[in-house]
Amino acid sequence: MGKEKILEVKGLETSFFTHLGEVQSVRSVSFDIHKGEVVGIVGESGSGKSITCMSIMKLLQHPGKIKHGEVIFKGEDLVKKSPKEMRKIQGDEISMIFQDPMTALNPVYTIGNQMTEVIRAHKKISQKEAEKIAIKMLEAVGIPSPEQRLKNYPHEFSGGMRQRAIIAMALSCEPELLIADEPTTALDVTIQAQILDLLKGLREKLDTSIIFITHDLGVIAELCDKVIVMYGGMVMEEASVVDLFKEPKNPYTIGLLKSVPNPETLTKQTLVPIAGSPPDMLNPPKGCAFCNRCEYAVQKCLVEVPKLYDVGKDHKSRCHLYHPDTPNEVKIKREVI
Amino acid sequence: MNQWTPISSEETQGNQPTRKSLTYWQDVWRRLRQNVMAMTGLVMILIISGLAIFGPMFSPYSYSEQNLQLANIAPQIEITKITDKDYVFVHNEYRLVSVTADGKFIGAPEVVDENKINRYITYNIDGKEVKFDYSLAMSNRKKGQKVTEEEENADMKTKYDIFVDGEKIDKYDTKIVLNKTNIMGTDTLGRDVWTRVLYGARISLTVGLVASVVNLCVGVVYGGIAGYEGGKVDNIMMRIVDIISSVPLLLIVILLMVIIEPGLKTIIITIGMVYWVGMARLVRGQVLSLKEQEFVLAARALGVTKSKIIIKHLIPNAIGPIVVSMMMSIPSAIFTEAFLSFIGLGVSAPEASWGTLANDALGGIRSYPYQLIIPSIAIALTMFAFNFLGDGLRDALDPRLRK
Amino acid sequence: MAYLLEVQNLKKYFTKTSGLIKREEKHIKAVDNVSFGVRKGETLGLVGESGCGKSTTGRTILKLYKPTSGKIIFDGVDITNFSEKQMLPYRKKMQMIFQDPYASLNSRMTISDIIGEAIDTHNVASSKSEKSDMIASLLQRVGLMKDHASRYPHEFSGGQRQRIGIARALAVNPEFIICDEPISALDVSIQAQVVNMLEEIQQETGMGYLFIAHDLSMVKHISNRIGVMYLGQLVEIGNSDKLYSNPTHPYTKALLSAIPIPDPESEKSKSRIILQGDVPSPLNPPSGCHFRTRCQYCMERCSIEEPKLKTIDGDHQVACHLFDK
Repeated sequence: MGKEKILEVKGLETSFFTHLGEVQSVRSVSFDIHKGEVVGIVGESGSGKSITCMSIMKLLQHPGKIKHGEVIFKGEDLVKKSPKEMRKIQGDEISMIFQDPMTALNPVYTIGNQMTEVIRAHKKISQKEAEKIAIKMLEAVGIPSPEQRLKNYPHEFSGGMRQRAIIAMALSCEPELLIADEPTTALDVTIQAQILDLLKGLREKLDTSIIFITHDLGVIAELCDKVIVMYGGMVMEEASVVDLFKEPKNPYTIGLLKSVPNPETLTKQTLVPIAGSPPDMLNPPKGCAFCNRCEYAVQKCLVEVPKLYDVGKDHKSRCHLYHPDTPNEVKIKREVI
Repeated sequence: MNQWTPISSEETQGNQPTRKSLTYWQDVWRRLRQNVMAMTGLVMILIISGLAIFGPMFSPYSYSEQNLQLANIAPQIEITKITDKDYVFVHNEYRLVSVTADGKFIGAPEVVDENKINRYITYNIDGKEVKFDYSLAMSNRKKGQKVTEEEENADMKTKYDIFVDGEKIDKYDTKIVLNKTNIMGTDTLGRDVWTRVLYGARISLTVGLVASVVNLCVGVVYGGIAGYEGGKVDNIMMRIVDIISSVPLLLIVILLMVIIEPGLKTIIITIGMVYWVGMARLVRGQVLSLKEQEFVLAARALGVTKSKIIIKHLIPNAIGPIVVSMMMSIPSAIFTEAFLSFIGLGVSAPEASWGTLANDALGGIRSYPYQLIIPSIAIALTMFAFNFLGDGLRDALDPRLRK
Repeated sequence: MAYLLEVQNLKKYFTKTSGLIKREEKHIKAVDNVSFGVRKGETLGLVGESGCGKSTTGRTILKLYKPTSGKIIFDGVDITNFSEKQMLPYRKKMQMIFQDPYASLNSRMTISDIIGEAIDTHNVASSKSEKSDMIASLLQRVGLMKDHASRYPHEFSGGQRQRIGIARALAVNPEFIICDEPISALDVSIQAQVVNMLEEIQQETGMGYLFIAHDLSMVKHISNRIGVMYLGQLVEIGNSDKLYSNPTHPYTKALLSAIPIPDPESEKSKSRIILQGDVPSPLNPPSGCHFRTRCQYCMERCSIEEPKLKTIDGDHQVACHLFDK
C-alpha cells in the first residue's frame, strides 16, 4: 500500500494482574494501520480485541498494565506518553466509540453541552464556534434539525440516534484514527444498517482511519478493507477482507466461517461448530491458543506457539501448518466454504 | 513421537476449560480478609462477645454487689506510706483505707476514735495508732468565712495530715499504683465498674442480637412477600411500613411503658417493633429487581411454588445487602438502647447497661470521670467494630466487585 | 396436522399509570392480536427488533405474564385462564430456554440443585439415586461431564451455562420449548454448537420449538416457519425459505436486506434498503399500520386502517394493504 502508516503496533503485551494471577489478555500483537484504511478486528469475547484498543488509547484500568511493546502513532510511542500528554491525543487525534450507546453519554448534560465540551477541550475556540462545529457534525451523521437536538438530553434520543451523536462527538475534532469498539452490537439490525451506512459515507468524506472491533463477520465483510482475526490474545490471521473470506488460511478463521449460516444460500446448510470453549487466559495453553479446538492440530501445536507466517500478499496466518517443514499430509485440506 | 503427528481427540478434550474458582462465600471471605479495618472490627466483636458471655463468670464480683467502703475508687490510686510495710489510701471522703504496697485493698482499718467536730479519725493499724486529721482546710480559714471555689478544688493533700503514734508523717511520701482489687475502679455504691460493664455488654449485645434477628425474620419475609407479590399487596404492605416508621421511637417507648414496666423487655419490644422496617424496604427493593431476572422466570416456568422461589432464589441472591444491613442495624440498636437507658427509659437498677452506667456516672463527672469514660469507650468500640465490619462486608459482598 | 401449540389473538398490554390525582392509564401494547401455531417437531422462528414484543409473546404463552386477552391452546386444551395449580402439568410439557446464560442460572445454587429443582417440582424421579442418575445423563446429553454437577454456575463459560439451561428445560421431558434468544449472548463459535444441539434434540424427541431471536440468519437456519413481528404485531408469517427468498411485507424486506452477509463480494453487489428513523414508541404507536412511518410504500389508507393478516400463498400470510386484492 502506498499510503503512509498512521499507526504501528509492535509486540504489544497487556496483562491484568488479578488476585488469581496474571491474565495475559494481549500477547505480542503487531499490526499496522494506513491512512484512510478500515481495519476490522474480529474475535470472540476474551480474545483480547477490546483490550488491544484500550491499550492503544491507554484507557486500561487497574489492574491492567501494558507489559511490553510499542504503539507508534505518527512517529511517537504512545506507550511512553504521560497521562497528560495522552489526554491531548485522546479525543483529538484518536477517538473511540463504545459499545453501549445508552451509557456512553452523561444523562444529566445536554447533547450540545457534551459535544462542545469535547471540542473546546482540544481547540481554543469560543462556545459559539464550538456549537457551530457540533451542529455541523450532527448534520453530517444524519440527525435532523441539529440546532434543536443540541438542547436535548440523551434520554430524548433513541438508541440509534445516540450512537449517531456519539459518532458525531468522536469525529468532531477530526481525528486521524477512530476506534469503534462494537458500535453496532447493541443495536437492532435495521439501525445497525443505518450506522454502517453512515460510517461508510463518513469514511469516504473524511478519510479517517478506522479500527472496527466486532464479533460479527457480516459487519466485517460489509465495512472493512483489512481484517485481523484475534484469538486467545494473539493475532491468528491478517488479510484483506476479500482474501479472508475467499481463502481463509487459519484453522480458527475457517472454523469461524463454517459456524455462521449465510442467509443467502437457499439450501439448508449444516453448521460446523468449533468444539470446546475459548482458552482461559489465566492459564493459557503452552502452545497455540487454539490447539485444543483445532481439527488440524499436531503435537507441535501443544508445545510451541506458532509464528505469524506470510501466506500470501498481505496475508499472514499464525499456524504451524505453514511452517516450511510441514509434511504435505497434514497441510490444511482446503475445502470450499 | 513425531511433532507432526495429529493430536488425538482425548488430548484436545482432556483440558476442557473449567475454571476452578472460589464459591461465593469463599470469595467474600477472601476479600474481607484483605480489609484490615473490617478484620479489626471482626476480632473486636469476637472479643467483646467473648467477654460479655464469659467475662462475668470469672469476675469475683456480681453486678449488684455493693461495698460502700470502697465506693468511687479510681482504676489508678495514690497510696501513702505510713510504716515500712503499711500503706493507706486516702479516700476523698476523708477516710483511710488500708492497702497493700502493690495496690490491693485490705479494707477499712479499725476505727478507735472518730471526732467529727474536730475533724479527725483515729485508726488502729497493726497496733499503731494512726490519726487522720482532716481539719487543716478548716483551721486555715477564719470563722464564718465561706469555702471559696479555689479551696474546694485544691488538692486533697492540702487538707489533711496523718500522724502515726503521734508523729506526723510525710504525706507527700506517696506512690501511684494500679487498683488491683477493682481494675476499672468502683462506682458510687462501691460496685465493680468492670463487672458492670461486662454485664452491660450482655444487655447491649442482647438488644443488638434481638434487633438483627427480628430484622431477619420479620423484615426479610415481609419485604420478600411485598416485593414478590407487587401491585396492591405491595402497596398496602409498604404503607403499613410507612406508618410504623413515621411514629417516633420515643413515643412508642413511653406508650409501651404505660402497659409494661420499664426494663429490658420494653426496649426489646420497641426495637423489635421498629427495626425491621428498614430491612423490609431494602429486601422489597432487591426482590423487585431480582424477580424479573431470568433465573426466577425459569423457576416460575417450571412451576416452582412462590414460597420456594422467595426462599431458594430471591433471598439468597439478596443476601449481600441483607447481611450488610443487619450488621449496620446492630450498632444502631445498641445505640438506641444506650440512649433510652441514658435518658432513664431503659433497664432498671441494679441491672446495668452501658447507657445506665453512663447516666449514673454523670453526677460525679468532675470527680470520677473514669465512671463515664469506661462505658463510653465500650459503646464507642462496639459501634466502631460493627460499623467497620459492616463497611467491609458491604465491599466484600458487592457483586460489582466480583469478577 | 394439528397444532401442538396454538395462539389465537393473543394480547398482552402493560398498563402504565401516571399522575397522582388524575389517574391516567396508558397501555403499552407489547403483544397485540398475535395468532400462530406450532406443530410437533416443528420450529417456528419469531424475529423482530428489540421492543417488538417477541420475548413478551414467549413469556405470555408460558403464562409468566398474565395474558390480557386471546387464547393459548396447548394440545387442544385452552390453558389461558388456568390457575397456577392447573398449569403445573403443562409446565412439565412446555419449557423455556433463556437469553442470558449469566442471569438465567441462580448463582447460589449448584448445577445439580438447578437441574434437580426441575426434577423435584414435577416428581420426575422416584428416589435420590434416580435423581442423580438423571442429572448425570442430562449433563451428558448437553455435552457436559457428570462431575460438573457439584459446581457453581460461575465456574462455567457462557456456552456451558447455556447448556446447563437447556439441561434444566429438558429435565422434565417437555413436548414444547420456547427458546428466548438462546444464542444471542454467546460467542459466534459457540452459537453453532448450541444450535446444532437444539436441532439434534428436536430430531430425537420430536419436540416443537418457538425460536425467538433477532439474529435473522440463525433463525432462518433453524426454523421451518418464521413469523416477523413489528411493534407487537405479526406482520408476516410463512415458510422460512420462501420468506427469505421472497419477502413480501416491506418491513421484512428491509429487515432481511439489513443482515450483513459474511461474504464481501455479494455484500458489494447487494442493494440495501435502509429504513429511515427508529421504531416508534409502543406507548404511542402510529395509527393504522404501525410500520407506515418508516414504510416507503405508505399509502393514505395505511394511516386509517390497520391491515389484517391475509393468506397470499399456501401458509404464507402477510399484513399489508399492498396485497389486498
